[in-house]
Amino acid sequence: MMAATQPVAATAEDAGKALQKQLLAEYYHSLSDEGRDGRKVAYLFVPGNVVELTQCFDMLPVYPEINALQCGIKKVAGDNILRAENLGYSSDVCGYVKNDIGLMLADRQSPFGQLPKPDLLVCNFSGCNTFVKWFEALAHFYGAELFVLDVPYLRERSPSREDVQYVTAQLEELAAVCERVTGVSFDRQRLRGVLEQSAEAERRWVEVLHTAKAHPSPFDAYFEAVFYMAPLNILRGTEGCAEYYRLLLEDLRSRVQEGRGPVPEEKFRVVIEGPPPWPHFRSFWELFKRWGVCSVASTYSKVGGLFDQGIFHDPSRPFESIAEYAMNSYTNWNLGLRLDLLRRYLKEYEADALVIHSVKSCRSFSVGQADFRDALTRGEGIPTLMVESDLADPRYYSEAQLKNRIDAFFESLAHRRLVGG
Amino acid sequence: MTVYVAGADVGSTTAKVVVLDSTGQVLGTSLGPTGASIVEAAQREFREAVKAAGIDEHEVEFVVGTGYGRFKIPFGDAQITEISCHARGAVHLFPDTRTIVDIGGQDTKAISVDERGEVVDFSMNDKCAAGTGRFLEAAAVTLGLQLEEIGPLSLQSSHRLRITNVCTVFVESEIMTHMMKGERVEDILRGVHNAIAGRSISLLRRVGINPDVAFTGGVSRNEGMVRTLEEQLELPVHVSPLSQYIGAIGAGLFALDRARGGGKTIRAAIPTVSHAGHASGGDH
Amino acid sequence: MTAVREWKEAHPGAKAVGAFPVYVPTELIQAAGALPVSLFGGGGSVEISHADSRIQSFVCSISRSTLELGLRGYLDVLDGMVFPSICDVARNLSGIWSRNFPNRLVEFLHLPQNRDSPSAIAYAVAEYRRFLTALEKLTGRTVRAEDLAGAIAEHNEEREAVVALLELRRTTPWLLDAWEGGLLLRAGGVMERGEHARLLLRSVAAAKERNRKVQDRVRVLVLGAFCEQPPLELVRTIEEAGCYVLEDDLLLGLRWFKEPVVADGDPLRALAEAYVTASPPSSVSHYRGPPKQNLLVQRVKDLGAAGVLFCTAKFCEPALYDQVLYKERLEAAGIPYVHVEFEEKMTTFDNVRTQVETFVESILFE
Repeated sequence: MMAATQPVAATAEDAGKALQKQLLAEYYHSLSDEGRDGRKVAYLFVPGNVVELTQCFDMLPVYPEINALQCGIKKVAGDNILRAENLGYSSDVCGYVKNDIGLMLADRQSPFGQLPKPDLLVCNFSGCNTFVKWFEALAHFYGAELFVLDVPYLRERSPSREDVQYVTAQLEELAAVCERVTGVSFDRQRLRGVLEQSAEAERRWVEVLHTAKAHPSPFDAYFEAVFYMAPLNILRGTEGCAEYYRLLLEDLRSRVQEGRGPVPEEKFRVVIEGPPPWPHFRSFWELFKRWGVCSVASTYSKVGGLFDQGIFHDPSRPFESIAEYAMNSYTNWNLGLRLDLLRRYLKEYEADALVIHSVKSCRSFSVGQADFRDALTRGEGIPTLMVESDLADPRYYSEAQLKNRIDAFFESLAHRRLVGG
Repeated sequence: MTVYVAGADVGSTTAKVVVLDSTGQVLGTSLGPTGASIVEAAQREFREAVKAAGIDEHEVEFVVGTGYGRFKIPFGDAQITEISCHARGAVHLFPDTRTIVDIGGQDTKAISVDERGEVVDFSMNDKCAAGTGRFLEAAAVTLGLQLEEIGPLSLQSSHRLRITNVCTVFVESEIMTHMMKGERVEDILRGVHNAIAGRSISLLRRVGINPDVAFTGGVSRNEGMVRTLEEQLELPVHVSPLSQYIGAIGAGLFALDRARGGGKTIRAAIPTVSHAGHASGGDH
Repeated sequence: MTAVREWKEAHPGAKAVGAFPVYVPTELIQAAGALPVSLFGGGGSVEISHADSRIQSFVCSISRSTLELGLRGYLDVLDGMVFPSICDVARNLSGIWSRNFPNRLVEFLHLPQNRDSPSAIAYAVAEYRRFLTALEKLTGRTVRAEDLAGAIAEHNEEREAVVALLELRRTTPWLLDAWEGGLLLRAGGVMERGEHARLLLRSVAAAKERNRKVQDRVRVLVLGAFCEQPPLELVRTIEEAGCYVLEDDLLLGLRWFKEPVVADGDPLRALAEAYVTASPPSSVSHYRGPPKQNLLVQRVKDLGAAGVLFCTAKFCEPALYDQVLYKERLEAAGIPYVHVEFEEKMTTFDNVRTQVETFVESILFE
């Protein structure tokens, strides 16, 4: 079904975009010297973050990973990375970390203004050991207090009782630290309220994700999802965030009604695994668009939480649900669980193929992707394309090579379809 | 009524063109260096191939371009990647092919096809010279030999010598070390060939190794490479005298699909691309 | 693996469990009646052919070569594998292993990283218990407290012997080379703890009898080889280039605890508690004591060493991050250092030799 004569829900789409813009502008303003208004700053990682808790202490959250991807998009990550390498960071370590160190060396001047220093580093290390090294370095350079929230790796589908107990006990300890750092008393009732907002946004987000089951999908579940998920990662727990997803859902539902999608004609539906090449985001997307490819599910959009697997924050079980949420971030799932998720996405979203974008920086994501490919192509006959570059370092991107592989892959899929296969 | 088509495979080092008739038979071929201008090289080889086929240029109904320079071929009617073309060409020459290993001057490709000759999976090494023809060139230069000599010489090896370096830059010093130790050139060369075969097989394993195996690309003319691949794979390997033209042949066959007419061609699936082209800039 | 095969033949029905490097509570493996086998990768001799289709190339050699050995069947003699918390690569490798060897026991041990937390010990106990249950299932044996206490005692014995070796090297480095020490430590990878302890003590005694003169070499610390081990020839090259290696972190997991683990009462708890309270500073776990880099500087001064040699595996993330902080601190303290990266398949060490000789000369001619 091609485009209708007049998009009915231009309002919801525009309203959603405007709200996101407004919310993010307010967020960055709150981080500025005047906007902060004496509030303390907590640095957090996106996977398994505990922003609901820090929010109760009026702490402003800063996410170095998000700073890194923004710098990638705005083409300044390269400079930051070089600064970090001059300081002694190897070319073989994570580009996100180097971008952050480089940012620090540039007095935290980012494309969004100067970022504040951390008052507390909350290393919620879920699914990535490098996070510990990252914040140990920041603790050293800033002389800031560091709390390492140890989040056990998920070996089974559900965390064990001991896993949950360990994390909830640490959350109590963290609450005490936050009290001390901010001088604000811990209000459990307030936490419940914040969790309520989070849960609302999360449920709507899941419905947003499910709209991609439509043919054609109303949005690209990778290239667009990584922007749609921003409020959930940066502003979770706020009213504005929940409202944004209400608008987004309305917008997407109208697109489904009208049969509107991100490409003129949806020819191939794919699941995409791995982070995007931020410094070359647009050109990478173009390589797929020209083949009429639309992503219907992705895993990078789940680093902030596997909500679509039924893991939501729950005001009736505050610390338990935060603990469960923290353990259920995509890279904290073991490889068997990840592979199984890929299979389910391929089936549930009726995808034609899997695309793996493997990034040099991130071992957590990348180590094992070749094994996924082996399992799916040779074991199960699922067409899988694997391409490589990096998520932050602009130097590792070779357009000619990527284009060759992407073209070859979709050529062969197209040809097989034609000859009836 | 006979139909003539052409396939043009323009890589970064060589340009190859073949002219086919409607039965898919190769009527004329031409090969030359790409040099600084893809456009000139493609035009030149096209003219030569057409001459060799004994026909006129305007008699060629459809041309498919492939290879690194495919978007810059001014007379190309469609562009298809060399993966699809190599697979098509290899299966055309050896119908029972299921696995193709293509070792070129600068990259190596592993392709697996199904019983219909459709590409099922592929994997490429184009980031690193290890396991490519470049590695052989470096070895030849270090030993002061011509590229054509090293294959036959390697076959005269009498004892096993392992080359451990995968890096083309470091292999030179490793070869020198062996020379200084008094190792025979034949044995060193065998070690080099074995190392390249090892890297290629590692790439092949990603797509699965199923017989029959076809070996294509410039390096397939090196008998030493053929032998070591067969030994390490424990499988016979098909090689054709037309091995350098396999990509162009595949392209020609796709051109034939199109020329025979009908919407049922891959052309219908590919988005229209202007000849002014796609800036596929950037190095390897 | 021949040694492992022989051991299994001598103990019919018994199992062998491979342990990936750094620290694994192998006491648990032994208590269950199985042989803990330390893995050192394929060394320079294994050509990567199968592993590339499962794991990328920008990772340390040991993860690739171990996987290659496994895929080629060389590790079939191992009935199980345990991967401890080291880094993202090792952690994900446990997942690759699980899928490719579905009929073997594969465990990932989440060793606590927040060791300050009062709940860390309880968690470690739970993790160890989980692992032990899996081992019991594998061996078909129930582990009693005495079994575990016995295993702990033997491990203590081994650790004591290691300490004796390290002390010999630290105080009289000319009597036993660092590479020899490395070899002796590695030998323990495929034998029982008690046997290893005896081997080490015999070697220490024999070394003391050696008639070797003290040479005019620069005294250094070598840091960074806590997981993937450098080729022994590399260590030897460093020494021959003019160094006495007073202290290193080769096979750090073998001397993880300085003091014996006291196993009275609840041995499992004692072992878990030891991990949480007595682990040394290392790159593989979050350390809450004084900054590691300050400890390093202090150690250099205490030992009267002239410099530090960072000897790290190529692509080893934990080492690469810590290095930046170490180097900054060493520079501030005016302590010379040099950095050498190694890979398993290194065959020529001339570059390293030149590098280290230059380093030595710069110290001598200061």
